[in-house]
Amino acid sequence: MSIDYILSILGPMLEGAQMTVLLFLVAIVISIPLGFLLMLAVRSSIKPLSWMAHTYIYVMRGTPLLLQLLFICFGLPMLPVVGEYLVFDRFVAACIGFILNYAAYFAEIFRGGVLAIDKGQYEAAQVLSMNKWQTTTRVILPQMFRIALPAVANESVTLVKDTALLYAVAVPELLHFAQTAVNRDFTIVPFLVAGIIYLIMTLLLTMFFKWLEQRFKFE
Amino acid sequence: MAIIEIQNLKKSFGKQEVLKQITFDVNKNDVVAVIGPSGSGKSTMLRSLVHLEKIDGGSIRVGGESLVQDGIYSKPQEIKRITSKMGMVFQHFNLFPHLSVKENLELAPRLVKKESSKDIQKRSTELLEKIGLSNRAASYPANLSGGQKQRVAIARALMMNPDILLFDEPTSALDPELTGEVLQVMKDLAKDQMTMIVVTHEMGFAKEVANKVIFMDDGEIVETAHPDKLFVSPQFERTRTFLNRSFK
Repeated sequence: MSIDYILSILGPMLEGAQMTVLLFLVAIVISIPLGFLLMLAVRSSIKPLSWMAHTYIYVMRGTPLLLQLLFICFGLPMLPVVGEYLVFDRFVAACIGFILNYAAYFAEIFRGGVLAIDKGQYEAAQVLSMNKWQTTTRVILPQMFRIALPAVANESVTLVKDTALLYAVAVPELLHFAQTAVNRDFTIVPFLVAGIIYLIMTLLLTMFFKWLEQRFKFE
Repeated sequence: MAIIEIQNLKKSFGKQEVLKQITFDVNKNDVVAVIGPSGSGKSTMLRSLVHLEKIDGGSIRVGGESLVQDGIYSKPQEIKRITSKMGMVFQHFNLFPHLSVKENLELAPRLVKKESSKDIQKRSTELLEKIGLSNRAASYPANLSGGQKQRVAIARALMMNPDILLFDEPTSALDPELTGEVLQVMKDLAKDQMTMIVVTHEMGFAKEVANKVIFMDDGEIVETAHPDKLFVSPQFERTRTFLNRSFK
């Protein structure tokens, strides 16, 4: 296990890690707001909307992410009539899959956050003459985000690792380069290097969320 | 002059009748103590005044305006306007945990009242001084003791300039040694002629501060009298039994 060898594979692997980071950022930046909207839909008093949101979350959480990715990449183009318009770039397709899947999980996390808020908070806001919008935006949501933060952190770390599923739809990311090097050079060193790169990414992410938790401790 | 008129209030939770024909008046500057065993309907009665509970029948008038007449509620806007004349202090404080003490006081006035930010800040500074917590303006509720939290909750209610202040067992969640500081703030309010309805287990407070005590049991008012009369020579057996148990 020479330093020279590690340096020689590090270049392409970091290139793959860029893809991993890019997917992570796209997925998290879009799926969190989407999950938030989905949570609002679930809690909506408009029954059909709530019902549709529930069904969506059930399907997304009830089937493997890998199946969903394969479906979007290879399944959609096979649909009759509309199929030819649903051929995406692999990376774009993967992004769509991750966003749709993670939005469902974030929606459930946010819903849990809202449910954890004491009903006394609504009552206090009501007797202070605040309307529904003011109560939601100034009292409920800030507390919801704070309560949800540890679970969001957990889910984000899972997302970093789930990006390795790109391997299955043949998008060249970190694990793909590691696997290629392992096969070519007949050594497990690339796997170890990949593992360390994943650990560094999740460490940075964990530190970021710890900082957020500290920042919004309200003590 | 009656500032609150309550007539024949009725409410059930399912089959259980929790309020049966409750009728009483509160005059301006009254301090009314509502006492009675747990489950007697005191809190439900109080909460129905600010529309936290919906009543099934009867009438509530506040400041001469009808919140509900013979079981029929006024329009939502009317309800909002009428209930905004009352402030409420809860057993469990219900402070906003994500806001500092000062922000807890100023949030609702900023959103609801058409006042300059300067006036609001002036009032919050004055009120914090009044409750003796000027030095805790920047603290979060998590760092306050129970007694301090309840004092902040009282100040927060006062920020809306209510005509009437309702207290729902304000000291029941406090350690015994912390009740004094909250009761002191309430005594000061009584001295300033604030109209108050206090649901309480603090017989000492009722005796000392209230000018009218209502004893409720099993969803009805058994006896209403001046504390000197009610505590010394109660007219009904149920009142006597309850008082004997409370003072044991």
